[in-house]
Amino acid sequence: MTDKEFIKITDLTRKFKDNIALDSINLTIQEGELFGLVGPDGAGKTTLLRTLAGLLGISSGEVREAGCDLRKNSEAVKSKIGYMAQEFSLYGKLSVLENLQFFGEMYDVPPGLQKERIPGLLAFAQLTDFTNRRAAKLSGGMKKKLALACTLLHQPPILLLDEPTTGVDPVSRREFWNILNDLHLDGTTIIVSTPYMDEADRCSRVGLIYQGRIAVCDSPKNIRQKIEGEFIKIVTNDWQKAREIIHPLKGVLEVQSYGEALHILVDSSTKRLGQIQKALRKNKLEIMEIRVIKPRMEEAFISLIRKIGQTN
Amino acid sequence: MSFRHLWAVIRKELLHILRDRGTFLLVLVTPTLVLLLMTYSLAVKIQHVPIALLDYDQSPTSREFMHQITAGDDLDLYENAASMEQIEDLLIKGKIKAAIIIGPEFSKDLLAMRGLSLQIIIDGTEPETGGFAVDHIGWRAESFANDILADQILTSGISLDSLEPIDLRIRSWYNPSLEPRIDIVPGLLSIVLGFPAFSVALTLAREHEHSTMEQLLATPISRIELLLGKMIPYILAGMVNVIVIPLIALAWFDVPFNGSFLEFLLLSAIFLFAELSMGMVIGVFMKSQSAALALSFLVVLFPGFFLTGIFFPIAALPEMARMESLFLPGTHYAIITRGVFLTGIGMDTLWPYAIMLVILGAAFTGTAALFFKKKLA
Repeated sequence: MTDKEFIKITDLTRKFKDNIALDSINLTIQEGELFGLVGPDGAGKTTLLRTLAGLLGISSGEVREAGCDLRKNSEAVKSKIGYMAQEFSLYGKLSVLENLQFFGEMYDVPPGLQKERIPGLLAFAQLTDFTNRRAAKLSGGMKKKLALACTLLHQPPILLLDEPTTGVDPVSRREFWNILNDLHLDGTTIIVSTPYMDEADRCSRVGLIYQGRIAVCDSPKNIRQKIEGEFIKIVTNDWQKAREIIHPLKGVLEVQSYGEALHILVDSSTKRLGQIQKALRKNKLEIMEIRVIKPRMEEAFISLIRKIGQTN
Repeated sequence: MSFRHLWAVIRKELLHILRDRGTFLLVLVTPTLVLLLMTYSLAVKIQHVPIALLDYDQSPTSREFMHQITAGDDLDLYENAASMEQIEDLLIKGKIKAAIIIGPEFSKDLLAMRGLSLQIIIDGTEPETGGFAVDHIGWRAESFANDILADQILTSGISLDSLEPIDLRIRSWYNPSLEPRIDIVPGLLSIVLGFPAFSVALTLAREHEHSTMEQLLATPISRIELLLGKMIPYILAGMVNVIVIPLIALAWFDVPFNGSFLEFLLLSAIFLFAELSMGMVIGVFMKSQSAALALSFLVVLFPGFFLTGIFFPIAALPEMARMESLFLPGTHYAIITRGVFLTGIGMDTLWPYAIMLVILGAAFTGTAALFFKKKLA
């Protein structure tokens, strides 16, 4: 293990009775990475983050974080980690400031340093005006930012964030990611799970977890390039019918629907564009929009999951 | 052990007690309310039991007898019945709890010193009241008959002194008038002062339900810091009760306090430690507040009533129950409260119970710490 390999997970398996939640995961995360964890619900994202936070025992395998063996010394690892649970998990009866102070004490931040850091964190989380408000009375986005601030007070080298922006409005979501970017630039190693593909796109590396295994792990750019073929976006007056027509056509690998729009993965856009148009016109469907698009994380993600599903 | 961690948890939990209305009521208000309620309902004196009379004798003696029976506050004449049917009807309707039937030969037999021909019928569905009525009618009848006999004997010229060979006078120490309230209040204290144990049992489950446990377990706090930090605030809140509730008992119920108040505070603090540790053991195993509360009722409250010797003497319990009662802090504390309030004994006599409470508290806390895992699953 080199100094740069900040988190090293080797053959990590976690079982809940008969259910294998994590299936021999191997993953190495470098110091200072902003690592995104994506995958469908129930794939094992939360289990992996909880395990890394020392909240779940390890059935087999090894985890080393910041030079500590998690299995042998989970309590020592805890002081090096800032963990933010998926659900709001601060004390509603305590004020914003009291929550910060409580976690400051838990992580042994000396009172002097707390006094020094808290105003900065409040400003950074845009909570300065709400310092004395009870946590239960904050809005969803503010709660998330407070939870993040509570995990940052001890300036942990590792941040584990479990879907930190779920249930948060788009503006707060952007603010939250700006905060994460700043932390990333400061050199904090961050693992963040997210259901939003645009968020995954902002990570330096993304791990796709599926059925307890890391299916793909690469930079967002490389993941997008893993898709063999091109995407065509089509908007028609009847997407369900259009889907039925396009799906059996030659060279069509996949049809994904996004509202009224269809994103069609084809082997070659030059070959198939005309063919699809012809087929739709023949069935008297009106084409409102048709163009070649660059695959986003979302298309790549769905396509990869489908591919894994087929090989299984 | 880090005292900063400990103090941070204590402070947070104290703020919770003060700010959460439900917890505040449960910890600081209900003990007083329950004490008042239970004292009034358990220590009531039976009075004014309605009875009916069926007088087949209709003599001046029988009328005088009836007059004496209902002279006190204990029995009230509801009706002078005309027939057995009417008495049965009154009993069924619940208008009377007992009936006295005076036989036709009542006065004749009495004056001839042949004994009383008297029938008492009671409502067996309320044995407490029925038994009370039988006892009281019996006493009254006996003294009535004795008076008449004494008159007879006096008129025949025999000295009364020679007729009473035994002069039995019963004296109850420490509670001279045998007022039930006095005895009940110190016993009840061992139940109501233990109420914060419920809140302690709930406090870990509450963290699970609000998923604050996940965040808390991710910090480097140690198990014993967390468990003690959760328990100490409730011991402190319990000590408020320990001071306030005896004052209410003294002022309101005229309960005597013969011991040393300082010793009482010390012994109560030890009791709270033991009782609340028991709550903590429950809390460690129950992940939801409702389950923790239900188990607390089964483990803390009901045995507290029936196995700690407050209402039924421990010596009368079956052997298994006697064993169990030894493990209940309330058993030892009930002896302490009665001793301090009524007999005025102190540490020199009560120390074995104090030691037993310390052992129980340490054992319960140890069990809780042993089974509390800093993991979610």
